[in-house]
Amino acid sequence: MGLLYQSELDQIWSRLFVAAPFFAWLFISSCTKENVSDFQAQVPVYFPKPNYTKHVQDFTKGRFELGKQLFFDPLLSTDHSTSCASCHSQTHGFADHNVRFSSGIYGRKGVRNTPSIANMIWYPAFGWDGGVNHLEIFHLGPLTNELEMGTDMNGVLNRLNHNQNYRNLFKTHYGVEQISDYELFKVLTLYISQIQSFQSKYDQYRQGKVNFSLEEQKGYALFKSHCASCHSEPLFSNFSYQNNGLDSVFADSGRGKITKEITDYGKFRVPSLRNVSLTYPYMHDGRFWNLNEVLEHYSNGIVENSQNLSPDLKKGMNLSAAQKQQLIAFLNTLTDYKLLSDKRFY
Amino acid sequence: MKNIFSILSIVLVILFGATSCDKNKQKATGELEIAFEHVWGMDETAFSLNTDYVHPMNSEALNFSTFKYYVSNIILTKEDGTLWKDSNSYYLIDLSKPSSLNLALSHVPVGTYKSMTYTLGVDSLRNVSGAQTGALSTANGMFWNWNSGYIMLKAEGTSPASSSGSFAYHLGGFSGQYNIVTTKTVNFDTEKLMINNDHACEIHMKASPSYLLCNDAVANGANVMMPGARAKSLALDFYSSVVFEHLHN
Ligand code: HEC
Ligand code: HEC
Repeated sequence: MGLLYQSELDQIWSRLFVAAPFFAWLFISSCTKENVSDFQAQVPVYFPKPNYTKHVQDFTKGRFELGKQLFFDPLLSTDHSTSCASCHSQTHGFADHNVRFSSGIYGRKGVRNTPSIANMIWYPAFGWDGGVNHLEIFHLGPLTNELEMGTDMNGVLNRLNHNQNYRNLFKTHYGVEQISDYELFKVLTLYISQIQSFQSKYDQYRQGKVNFSLEEQKGYALFKSHCASCHSEPLFSNFSYQNNGLDSVFADSGRGKITKEITDYGKFRVPSLRNVSLTYPYMHDGRFWNLNEVLEHYSNGIVENSQNLSPDLKKGMNLSAAQKQQLIAFLNTLTDYKLLSDKRFY
Repeated sequence: MKNIFSILSIVLVILFGATSCDKNKQKATGELEIAFEHVWGMDETAFSLNTDYVHPMNSEALNFSTFKYYVSNIILTKEDGTLWKDSNSYYLIDLSKPSSLNLALSHVPVGTYKSMTYTLGVDSLRNVSGAQTGALSTANGMFWNWNSGYIMLKAEGTSPASSSGSFAYHLGGFSGQYNIVTTKTVNFDTEKLMINNDHACEIHMKASPSYLLCNDAVANGANVMMPGARAKSLALDFYSSVVFEHLHN
């Protein structure tokens, strides 16, 4: 300070004075509004508009932390054994710990493989059969499904309302004395809406930040010609319902269970392939343990007389061993290590 | 610049003036109670849960433990054709909760009304809009957790006509050919509804759970758990029994 002349000081003060409204604005806005953009990375331009934006408008860090606490809390399950995180684990791309069927309450096994819950805000419908039409409503499923967490909504709400800590937190962050399913669904949705995967090597490649190896490049080309009609970029699903030729008799009727249309039996929503190398085993019933088996299926294993088989798959792909390796090399670029180590989620 | 400000302030003054005028003219409002009464069979004896009945058409023995359904989107039409729409318009009629049988509507503008329109069920928008409150909260057990949508009518109970001994009809469907959302209009005849700010008016409605099975039977299947053709015919048969009785001004 001693090195500054009085005139310079004057100048600085007058500049500060001119800038005062700006600082005031900065101060006020930083106090009153917590900006979600300070909290999460920028979504790449090649991503579509999300279907859900409410979590952005409603975002506060406090709500996010409350959602996180609930996500990890087995209090939500009947026997206090299971939380959302038991089945949707960060280290496994928010899918389950590499088990075919997840264990829910009392160790009961579910009937479908647990999918990743990254990028939900871009999904048009939820579950392998797309039976759930809104992200906020999805939580009702695991909370009341006998195989998963096994409580009825009133049971969950009673427990929360008898927990002074949660009562205080909901009062602070949602202004309610009595916790209802409305706030519970909102806060869980706000939390899982932040689970976004778009910082994989593939994404860096798309943004011109890294190069693909020759093998990855070849795999990418094969992917575009053989897989992208269903697993379309950048979410790696077009969210349509397809039968990819697993069975001739359907143990699980899939989409048909929802629509009861004869043409929907055996169809499942095309799953996203982001973080796919971590989310094994694969398919709605977790029948394949690794990507080799999956590619073997597409190559020579398609059940051709399967009812409602997708026309794209009528002919086996007949991939060579080298092509399979190239495809796997490409699929490995979809692993998002930034998400897996993102401190906001643990 | 100054011009703009003076124009702006004039506009503002006019705006404020207008709204305060409006306030002065604000209409008086009154209250309306819509009471639902439930009856059984041809002789229309009073219906209650946990009571043994014999169905008048199919002769099945039935005992209902649950009977719940949604009434929504109540609209009143004045003689001059103007409409008033109830803003909190979702009600869950639950026969195990006597208080739920009387829908209390407030802030109804004073005036003479010639008809009432109401919906049995929950409109499609609320079936696809995520978390809801009040009568539409999932805590009421009226929302399917695996195939989204409201259970708009839930009837459960026991019957020897069922092989398991019990029956459960969970009826819903808000789109396509199995849509069961039904809108009805009551035209008040000679006695119009006259909402006043002195005392609450009453509309009496009647519904008959026996109609649920008037073209069907537990023996045909004791469970319906999702939208479909049977869900639709069961629901519409019950809905056809919901009628206007009389009103008290
Ligand atoms: C016992 C394991 C288990 C638990 C606990 C669990 N889930 Fe799931 N989750 C699953 C399974 C299995 C599916 C796929 C269900 C289906 O398709 O029928 C799923 C699907 C989802 C989906 C939809 C994913 C998609 O691809 O459409 C979301 C969102 C979700 N879960 C969120 C949650 C939340 C939030 C919780 C905690 C309230 C939770 N889950 C608890 C196993 C579990
Ligand atoms: C006609 C559409 C279609 C095409 C083309 C297609 N898939 Fe699939 N894929 C699906 C469907 C549908 C499923 C889910 C099937 C099920 O679980 O029943 C699936 C599942 C998968 C899975 C399992 C994902 C998981 O999380 O369980 C992988 C991996 C996969 N596909 C990779 C590929 C690859 C690689 C290609 C190209 C060689 C390809 N798919 C081509 C429709 C398609």
